[in-house]
Amino acid sequence: MKTLAIETATPASSVALGDGAELVAMSASVAGKGHVGFLVPAIDFCFDRAGWIRDDLELVAVDIGPGPFTGLRAGLSVAQALAAAVGVPIVTVSSLDVLALRAATGRRIIWPVVDVRRGQVATASYRPVPGGVVQDGPAEVVTPEELAALINASGDDALVVGDHTALPDGVFQGLHRVKVGRPRFPAADVILEIAQMRAGRGIFASAEEVRPLYMREPDALINWSDIREEGLWPGAAG
Amino acid sequence: MSDRMILGIETSCDETGVAVLHGDNVLSSVLATQTDMHSRFGGVVPEVAARAHIEAIRPMVHLALRKAGVHSDQLDAVAATRGPGLVGSLMVGFSFGKALAWGLQKPFVGVDHMEGHLFAPLLENPGYRPPAVVLLASGGHSQIVHMRDWGDYTVMGSTIDDAAGEAFDKLARFMGLGYPGGPAIDRTSDDGNPAAIEFPRALADRPFDFSFSGLKTSVVNHLQKAKAAGALPPIEDVAASVQEAIVDVLVAKTFNAVVETGAPVVAAGGGVLANRRLRAAMEERAAAAGVALYLPAPSLCTDNGAMIAAAARFRLDAGEQATWFDDVDPGLRLD
Ligand SMILES: [Zn+2]
Repeated sequence: MKTLAIETATPASSVALGDGAELVAMSASVAGKGHVGFLVPAIDFCFDRAGWIRDDLELVAVDIGPGPFTGLRAGLSVAQALAAAVGVPIVTVSSLDVLALRAATGRRIIWPVVDVRRGQVATASYRPVPGGVVQDGPAEVVTPEELAALINASGDDALVVGDHTALPDGVFQGLHRVKVGRPRFPAADVILEIAQMRAGRGIFASAEEVRPLYMREPDALINWSDIREEGLWPGAAG
Repeated sequence: MSDRMILGIETSCDETGVAVLHGDNVLSSVLATQTDMHSRFGGVVPEVAARAHIEAIRPMVHLALRKAGVHSDQLDAVAATRGPGLVGSLMVGFSFGKALAWGLQKPFVGVDHMEGHLFAPLLENPGYRPPAVVLLASGGHSQIVHMRDWGDYTVMGSTIDDAAGEAFDKLARFMGLGYPGGPAIDRTSDDGNPAAIEFPRALADRPFDFSFSGLKTSVVNHLQKAKAAGALPPIEDVAASVQEAIVDVLVAKTFNAVVETGAPVVAAGGGVLANRRLRAAMEERAAAAGVALYLPAPSLCTDNGAMIAAAARFRLDAGEQATWFDDVDPGLRLD
């Protein structure tokens, strides 16, 4: 299927066109800002390079995170609009899946990390298998110290990939089985591979699934009771 | 102006508004409002707003097209609000609109939200035209704009602290009247005496600017003193007096601008213009001053997609459209 993949789960955004899993064109930005200014021009450029017209498109694949929400929403808005304009289905992928699949060489357990701000990372563990990876446990949001403890408790040799700048120096000190490696950011060409597998099995996203994978309540929901003020009139709603 | 078919998308704050405009006719205008989601916080929470927009945007665009009886292929252009507003909210509508336009191979227009409000009266009154003085008052903005011509604006005055709608929200919250504050104070004022308490009118020395933060302090001090003296006034009188103070200032400064510019037309927009006392006061003053007044229906005063499409039509007629590289601008200014 002629597929457009959109990646905005981290400060590095990219788009890729694939015919099946075969990469046809790709454009990437490491600027760290401006997903909104990057995405459509990049898609336009890739279509031009590939010699595709709009109606050639058969599938849109998009990363739904985890990752910073604002960037994810830019990618998801573009994915939804294009899928609606051309009338094609959407496949969603996880940023952790994308990182793990790219890192899948060797025998180490792969722990992809995505910086979700406020001193936390999203992670999950993946086992390499022939032809890809298998996710071992659920994705969770943890501090770097909690990540080190999880890896230590697993007892396996580990490969940590993803944005290592979110991990303080020395957080894995004393853990001799841990190696830190690449890639640093997920990229759209890997999404193409996952999308072909999903689409081949008929796993398309429903409208409700085309949402960022938040894994965290908005701050206001966590703290909302703190910001109420007492009314002066007894019985009035506060 | 032209009879283009334009899809307008508005997501600058807490309303997902989408409309289809064909020439002068609003074929559909739909709104997903988030008021209930924000009521427990007493104001708009940006992350809550952005989450609601990404859920609402696609269904609302679909609904607007269906209600208009228009297929997306029939659109001549797509427009979306570029700013000012909350960045996370703006990004959803702007990204969606731009990608939709690209997918449909139609022009895309990024619209200044405030210019949208300036065009809203035109949707009901094709005779409305500049030069005009326009009062824009909502939860996010309070400005007096001198519109010399379409596209030629000077912001004569604005708030130096809270927006008018924000003042209503904060005061209503303090009085325990709930959110949104404007309608709550409007309703409660029905049975109150607007002259019961004389709250201060700020910035007398700056004819076109507003300040509302002092009003809250004054209300709080007044009520705390009254409570200590065991003589808390009826809440209806407090609400009516607060409303009178805000309305008085908005109207007085708008008409200061009318005198200053000699504009023969006054218009207004923004959610605060749903306030009945404000509408009545604007009508009284306009009649006394002998100027034409254009007050859009409350549904066109609050944020909506139709006003974005209307402003976009003007921009397209002027030969303007966005490039695919354009981004949102949360701090966009009219002049
Ligand atoms: Zn507005």
